[in-house]
Amino acid sequence: MSSFGFGLISAAVLAIATVGFTMQFAVTNVLNLAYGSIMINSAFVTYYVNEHGVNAWVALVGGVLTGAIASWLLNRFVYTPFQKRNLAPITVVIVSLGIDLIGTFGLQAIVGGGYVSFTQNQGREYHFAGLLLSSLQLIVMGICVAVLVGVHGLLKYTRLGKAMRATSANKNLARNSGIKTQFIISTTWLISGALCGLAGTVFAMNAGVFEATSAQLYIVLLLAAMFLGGPGEPYGAMFGALTIGLATEVSAAYINPDYKDVIAFIALIVMLMFRPFGIFGSEKTN
Amino acid sequence: MNGKTLTWSGSPAVRMRKRLTLLVAVVALIGATVGLPGTAHASAQPHSSGVALTIPVVAPFTGVDAALGPIYETACLAATQEINLVGGVLGHQINCKTVDTRGDPADAVPAVGQMYATTKNIAFVIGCTSDEASTVVPVFGSNKTVSFCMTGESEFDAVKFPYFFRLVPPDAADAVAMVAIAKNKGYKKIALAFGNDAGSQTFVAPAEAAIAKAGNMKIVSNQTLDINATTFQSEAQAIVAAKPQVIMMEALGAAGVALLSEVYQLNGKKMIPIIGTSAMIDPTFFAGITKAVGTQNFIKNFDADNQVSTGNTPAYPLFSKLVLAQKGKVKGIGNVATLLQAPGMVHLYDAINIASLAMVMSGSTSGSVYKNDILAITAGAPGAKVVSSFAAGLAALKAHKKIQYLGVGGTYHFDAFHTSFGAFEDMHYTAAGTTVNAGTLNPALLNSLKAF
Amino acid sequence: MSSYGYYIAIILVYASVDAMACLGLSLQFGVAGVSNFGFIIFQSVGAYVAAVLSMPNASTSNGGFQKYILGWHLPWPFPWIGAALAGGLLALPFVFIVGKRLRGDFAAVGLLVSAVLLNLLATNYVPLFNGAAGISLVPAPFQSHFNPQGLSYQFAYGLVAVILTVGAYFLVKRITESPYGRSLRAMRDNDIVADSLGKDLRMQRMSVLVVGGMIAGLSGAILVEFITLWAPGAWGYAETIVLFAAIIIGGAGNHKGAVLGAILVPVGFEEVTRYLPPVGNPALVPALEWVAIGLLIVLFLWFRPDGILPERRQILSGNKNAPAPVPTAADDESDALIKIGDLHKLDLHKLLHLEPTGNDHHVIFSTKGLTKVFNGVTVVSDVSIDIQQGRLTGMIGPNGAGKSTTLAMLAGTLPPSSGQIFYEGQDITSMPSNKRALNGIVRTFQLASEFKKLTVLENLVSAIPRQSGDTFVGSMRGKRYWGAEDRANIERAQELLEGFGLTQYADSYAGGLSGGQRRLVEIMRALLAEPKILLLDEPMAGVHPNLAHRIGDQLTNLCRGGMTIVMVEHELSIMDAFCDPVIVLAEGKVLAQGTMSELRQKQEVVEAYLVG
Repeated sequence: MSSFGFGLISAAVLAIATVGFTMQFAVTNVLNLAYGSIMINSAFVTYYVNEHGVNAWVALVGGVLTGAIASWLLNRFVYTPFQKRNLAPITVVIVSLGIDLIGTFGLQAIVGGGYVSFTQNQGREYHFAGLLLSSLQLIVMGICVAVLVGVHGLLKYTRLGKAMRATSANKNLARNSGIKTQFIISTTWLISGALCGLAGTVFAMNAGVFEATSAQLYIVLLLAAMFLGGPGEPYGAMFGALTIGLATEVSAAYINPDYKDVIAFIALIVMLMFRPFGIFGSEKTN
Repeated sequence: MNGKTLTWSGSPAVRMRKRLTLLVAVVALIGATVGLPGTAHASAQPHSSGVALTIPVVAPFTGVDAALGPIYETACLAATQEINLVGGVLGHQINCKTVDTRGDPADAVPAVGQMYATTKNIAFVIGCTSDEASTVVPVFGSNKTVSFCMTGESEFDAVKFPYFFRLVPPDAADAVAMVAIAKNKGYKKIALAFGNDAGSQTFVAPAEAAIAKAGNMKIVSNQTLDINATTFQSEAQAIVAAKPQVIMMEALGAAGVALLSEVYQLNGKKMIPIIGTSAMIDPTFFAGITKAVGTQNFIKNFDADNQVSTGNTPAYPLFSKLVLAQKGKVKGIGNVATLLQAPGMVHLYDAINIASLAMVMSGSTSGSVYKNDILAITAGAPGAKVVSSFAAGLAALKAHKKIQYLGVGGTYHFDAFHTSFGAFEDMHYTAAGTTVNAGTLNPALLNSLKAF
Repeated sequence: MSSYGYYIAIILVYASVDAMACLGLSLQFGVAGVSNFGFIIFQSVGAYVAAVLSMPNASTSNGGFQKYILGWHLPWPFPWIGAALAGGLLALPFVFIVGKRLRGDFAAVGLLVSAVLLNLLATNYVPLFNGAAGISLVPAPFQSHFNPQGLSYQFAYGLVAVILTVGAYFLVKRITESPYGRSLRAMRDNDIVADSLGKDLRMQRMSVLVVGGMIAGLSGAILVEFITLWAPGAWGYAETIVLFAAIIIGGAGNHKGAVLGAILVPVGFEEVTRYLPPVGNPALVPALEWVAIGLLIVLFLWFRPDGILPERRQILSGNKNAPAPVPTAADDESDALIKIGDLHKLDLHKLLHLEPTGNDHHVIFSTKGLTKVFNGVTVVSDVSIDIQQGRLTGMIGPNGAGKSTTLAMLAGTLPPSSGQIFYEGQDITSMPSNKRALNGIVRTFQLASEFKKLTVLENLVSAIPRQSGDTFVGSMRGKRYWGAEDRANIERAQELLEGFGLTQYADSYAGGLSGGQRRLVEIMRALLAEPKILLLDEPMAGVHPNLAHRIGDQLTNLCRGGMTIVMVEHELSIMDAFCDPVIVLAEGKVLAQGTMSELRQKQEVVEAYLVG
């Protein structure tokens, strides 16, 4: 039962991250494999602000801003210029892998190879329905719910959100209908980057200890969650993150923690082989 | 653009000629190098007097195990400082040189190749952890270079390498010592938590065997930790749920701290006692874990097994003076004071003294000559004078006496595989992060638990 | 001095191992466009198999301190052969991932994840791989006869490694320069188009995965028996990124570039950093190495995407001295006008090996209830049409009427949501598009679909079906086997090129042509695919009207000779002049059918299309 609790926390962190990741894919068709490196950079910014005496939850703003700005810069000055050259999508993916190396190991060069942890306490524990959760974990879950509701509201009820959906469905059509797609794409990268920074920070808080390379393989879970729900589908990402988060932790309890990520890997490979557009998604026009 | 690019254009005939030229060049290079007289075995040649000798420290200085290299380098600087002070070995001053293996067995091979290419007058090699010993020890052997390795890997219990010596017991013995500590303390329900790296995993099977042999103990939870993971909630939960009396563990890097702090959180902020391996005597680990669970809380609940290297051997005062004198000379090392009982520091310091005395005794710097005297000096002979420093040994040898070396880590006895087991102790941390011996383990108890 | 010998020997072995890996990857990624992000596992599996084949039984040797399977204790070279075979066999399951319907970047992600997964299993699953400790004491070849640490032995080992690398080089070169290699490169540049021209993408991808996997497996064997240790930690997915960096920097698709990249990146980075003094924290230098590799990838892809040694342009015209002109925008108009005079002289039937058959105008091709739904939107709805043999059927309709989608379903590029397609009475609804192409149903595309990094001549020749050098086995048999036939094919293509007035661009990359010229290349390429039914999607867009009418004349000629053509076109004058009958589509449905003059009489057609 407690593994269900851990699953909820993993799922919450993963959901925040996956929604941002999938939004980037939706509007720009880029599999941004450098996402994990921006997450961990944001976490370190929060950490250092926190180390200077600022409350961790306030310092979080620094991490969120880092994620937003770094993601926006990345799209504006790297991905967009490459995409303008009309290259195969794989080229941009390779570029993103290169950026991931620069981001992760550039950070490591600065902060060193050691690990750090947030000094704040996990807070008191709460028991309900057989789950044991610390207040930190409850806050993380609260943030996650707020983010998901916020994204839902944005997409459903605001002009910006509707324009984002239109842009992701068909960029040319959206442009022809008078939507400023360039502006929409920039805004999406700012918002998804903020989610990335937020996810990175809560990931690090939940992790206990973390180092520059901690998020390197997190991208696999992100990809698994995204492909499960359908690439580019924010609601699918929420579903995928919940499923993968729970499945890995519950399988850890019943099989063997060493193999807990295996279920995510297998889910991803099966999805790619049989339904690359996700469980709920459907084929798209080009 | 197209015209200016660097293509190997030209007619097929020209291209074929280029290819042939390349082939000829390669063959010529190979022929020239192979044909050179007196190839290699530089260290097998006696070194002419007055030339400095070098001790390469072949160890990870970067990568996951980067903490190890600087400790070994410090041991080398400490030992050679004393040796050089009394005139060196047979008139040779001794230098230390670092050779970074990056903790990777494949990277270590060219690193050692480069070492032989760029290092003259190698005295012997120290270091070679479990990370790289498998690939580099055969290379040392064929170059007739004596090596003192810090590896507990079991392959060296199975295969004999004449130039290989180790001052640390096989991992199996280390694991037995952990079980002995548990038995002394009366623990019956045991959890195992070892990292999934090669070095940590070697403890698992011997620990299981020793626990089985102990009779009244049982393993209630056995976790393998992915040392690259950042959270171990599932593993911690499994351990806490199994209600063990003690956790036996080795997890390097962040993993150990992460697991223990999560166990602490999940266990209602109560530590479960820990028995660690000697690798858990590590300043970074100490700093991390005390921050997570509190210093007093941690040191009360932590034991580590270690080979005896108490502060009361006759060699210790000089050793500690020399090690402390190296403060600030080596990069990437924490407070050297906390490392006075680190196995690498103690045993490699002793190794350098032993090998240097063996050179003096045999009158040769050639490994094939002096390696037998390493055995003689450690085993001792009836009536041999017991010495605890290079200077004392040198004086005794000059007086044509037989000697036996009693080092910081006690006496060493090499078996047929050139492994010295030594005695084990139960070690504690102090609040300052230094270590104290909480009692030497009974050799009879160790023998009774040994399954090999 | 002499002790440098060891170092040199070691570097020879390591450089060979890396160079072989890069050659395998260069074939997969550089030539065939298969982004094998899991490349390192092929090397790892080869190394493992070589280790366990050469080692004695696990439970009885060396006190049984490590666990592994097999332990057959085979003498050299069998472990190496086994390693190569294992690398090749491992490729087979991955064919499911790189199957033709998956986007290239998605497939790459699948391979990357597979590599991480397998490494995780190897690290944790002790009975098979001995866990993270890996397997030590791997016997070196002939170690009972020679001292494996001796200098001559190490040089001999290095020499064998170099020879095998040279062998791998000539192997990938032989494949690349054959007609099969041309098809691989066509697939790399545009897989959907290659598919529509009859290339079996699955087979092509499988063959490069297998060949690259075998080379990788062998390279792993060379390394593992040299260092005598196999450990999962040495085969992390990041090593694949290093290899990608190497071939991107050296020049993907140019196999000399791959070797150069191997020397510059994996070998260069490892060795040069050994000579750097230690600076900063212990993580600094390795961290900066990774940063440098990341930077090199990004900077090269931006400033020099073809690498230091770009892929060589294949000069097929025989005119090796004159550099191929790069077309300018002005060419679009002028050249087309100057040279078109020759087109009408071409005897296309002879050139295309078409036996003129009688025309009975029977229904050769038809659809029943053809429907396509995208994302809940019905784009083509219940379209039932009959195409008569020997006629040039036109298809018109406003934007979004479903013309291109219908054509794509006819050609098999898109699977219909429902409905059936019949060819000569046979239901071919589920026949894949490459099979349809081989059966004579060939299409062109509305959007640019030339193979950009193939020359104009290569574009044309690549379409010719049933070339004896266009199979894996054929390519292996070498130029002596396929050379003469290829020469003849090239001459045919040159003749066609002359008719269309593009001879001067024969050796130019098709990607550099103007829009109109590229349409012509596409029409020529489709003709060379020897179609019985030719499906043309706006073939005249951007083509000078004068030339368009000459092409139309030739198409009419072809129909007279027995070919069936369906043409989607916006230009009504073309429809008026050449097409009979014409099908009008609107909002995914068939609105009307008849000659243009009949259609002009119909009110609904005029409203739906002719006016708007």
